[in-house]
Amino acid sequence: MANRRCIQTLISRCFSISHSPNPSPYPILKTLTIAPHFLLQTEYSTVQSLTPTDPGKICSAFPSFSRHHCSDNRTSMGSIDNDGDEEEEEEEDDDDDKSEDEERVHLSGKSDEQKAEEAAEIGYKVIGPLEESDRVFKPYEPVFAVVQVGSHQFKVSNGDSIFVEKLKYCDVNDKLILNLVLMLGSTAQTIIGRPVLPDAAVHAVVEEHALDAKVIIFKKKRRKNYRRTKGHRQELTKLRITDIQGIAKPEPIPSMKTEKRATKVEKTAVSA
Amino acid sequence: MALRGVWQLNKLIVSYCDWGGSSRGVRAFMESHLPAFKEISPQLEVVTELNRGQHPYLKGLYRNKNERVVSVKNMTPEDILPCATRLRNSLGRKVVKLKTRHVTKHPSVQGTWTTELKM
Repeated sequence: MANRRCIQTLISRCFSISHSPNPSPYPILKTLTIAPHFLLQTEYSTVQSLTPTDPGKICSAFPSFSRHHCSDNRTSMGSIDNDGDEEEEEEEDDDDDKSEDEERVHLSGKSDEQKAEEAAEIGYKVIGPLEESDRVFKPYEPVFAVVQVGSHQFKVSNGDSIFVEKLKYCDVNDKLILNLVLMLGSTAQTIIGRPVLPDAAVHAVVEEHALDAKVIIFKKKRRKNYRRTKGHRQELTKLRITDIQGIAKPEPIPSMKTEKRATKVEKTAVSA
Repeated sequence: MALRGVWQLNKLIVSYCDWGGSSRGVRAFMESHLPAFKEISPQLEVVTELNRGQHPYLKGLYRNKNERVVSVKNMTPEDILPCATRLRNSLGRKVVKLKTRHVTKHPSVQGTWTTELKM
């Protein structure tokens, strides 16, 4: 590396001398005579071919030189390639910085697509439109689904409420669709997914984003004078399950009600 | 903060003092972030109250007659906004440790398992 740096300084000096208003070949020769004795040790034997004829031709001399491979498994390219490597390294550093900056920009302002992707990956949810005047809250149906949100799984039915780790990209009163459904079941039928059921969907509504009660984390090592107290409140989201789709639901029992109504009507008719 | 589609926070009272230094953040919040907050939640009644000589607080009145008071003494407007948002986003329920993360009225669909159950 030190050798490389020396060569680079030499070459830069050569260029500066060549581009200076009064070029004289002598200082170039002097610098070049110093160089070869350690150039032979390294793979940079390109400078040997340097003929200080014209400043313009120095540049052209470099790329025509062939490679000499050494035992160090370094690519023995010409000095332009060394410069190229330098530039590449600098570019890589710039790219790293730029990518970091881009990452920071990404974290601060994500696009809607990225948010939806993240939501789909992490929380397995898709944000639907906000609650309008829909009749979303139906009466209980005897159908259940096993749903995964984040790393937790729940056996869920219509009208249940679930406390889940805070979901980032949804507000209160938003409709969600939970995609990861592992199992569906009703009174007559059970459908098991391997591992997920592709056509099933569970609809939910966000009820609340709130903090859990405070948990005190107390650490102590006895006889060592070490005691720590820390309070922690977990951020939770409460979801209310409104609908389960993907399984044939048993029909509600209106026959009882119609019979009762019929009997009532008959009774009233009889009494009248 | 919506139980079955009904918003639970009825009223938000922002109490501040126009002289005290602990209310500096709230006064700035009222100028900068409060109009946007009002637009986000149009169903919410936001009231600003002058309370001279007292430290500032946010008071949330919920539908279940519950009151949640959050002191915003010496806080910056950027810190007060999440406090107000948290009041808006929560139900008025008492903050108690959860027994279960799954609250249901019908725990079994296909019948509760017993040892005598034969498939």
